Amino acid sequence: MDISKEDAKESLEQIEAVHSHTRKTIAASYDSGLLIMWGIIWFAAFLGTHFLLGWVWQIWTGLCGMGAIVTILVARQQFRTAKPTKIPASEMIGWRIFWFWSLLFVYLFIWLSILRPTHGIQVNAFICIGIMFAYVVIGLWTKSYYMLWLGLVVTCTTLVGFYLVPPIYYCLWMAPTAGGALFATGLYIRLRWR
Amino acid sequence: MAELDNIIHQPVRLQIMASLVALERGEQVDFIYLRKVLKLTDGNLGAHLTKLEVAGYIKIEKTFIARKPRTFINATGKGRDAFDEHTAALKQIIRGSKR
Repeated sequence: MDISKEDAKESLEQIEAVHSHTRKTIAASYDSGLLIMWGIIWFAAFLGTHFLLGWVWQIWTGLCGMGAIVTILVARQQFRTAKPTKIPASEMIGWRIFWFWSLLFVYLFIWLSILRPTHGIQVNAFICIGIMFAYVVIGLWTKSYYMLWLGLVVTCTTLVGFYLVPPIYYCLWMAPTAGGALFATGLYIRLRWR
Repeated sequence: MAELDNIIHQPVRLQIMASLVALERGEQVDFIYLRKVLKLTDGNLGAHLTKLEVAGYIKIEKTFIARKPRTFINATGKGRDAFDEHTAALKQIIRGSKR
């Protein structure tokens, strides 16, 4: 079969476009709604922490508890019905991710109990960076590179907030840079990748 | 020297294979999802999938999930190898070492 250089180039460009579009739409179908939800939760929780300091535990446990329940229900629904792909050899992947997150929080609390941070900001930065570490690991593991980058960016903004922003403004800094980053990434995926 | 593949070279089948090899090995994609991504009709997609299946490049699995019929498709090892060879041949043509 003979084809010209231009046709070959066009075919390769088409392959690259379809390849990229496939991975992006699969990612969008799974993650964007949950990212938007967690972005709103973090944004509200940080603002709540700044303005209602006496209610910190109630705000975080209440909002994150609700978020966790919704996440589990949505993930369960996706793995049962609406998912665009399936991996026959790894039907348990949903449970693996569930146990990964559960164990991460168990370990975060173990480390916190050993390190005994003295300030609420230390606890918050530690948990945020721990969660972002999970994003980085999952991003590398599943080749979801936007998760890898999101994890790295929010880790950096958390470090900036911890070391450079005056403690009184820490939550005001984290609301848009951490919660906002999750929300913006989810929204971008939903609007641009579908 | 890599050779172009007549079956894969057809534009719709090229897109189907490009989409399928974007998945992990063993990962299957839903027929409806593939139709949506490639913007094809049921009949058009079905006809091209049959040709690829006959060539042994893809595997089609019909199953029931939540009592609804679902069709999942994945690229076989033979299909991935053929696709890799086809893209290698395209790159050779661009480099000018083959025509």
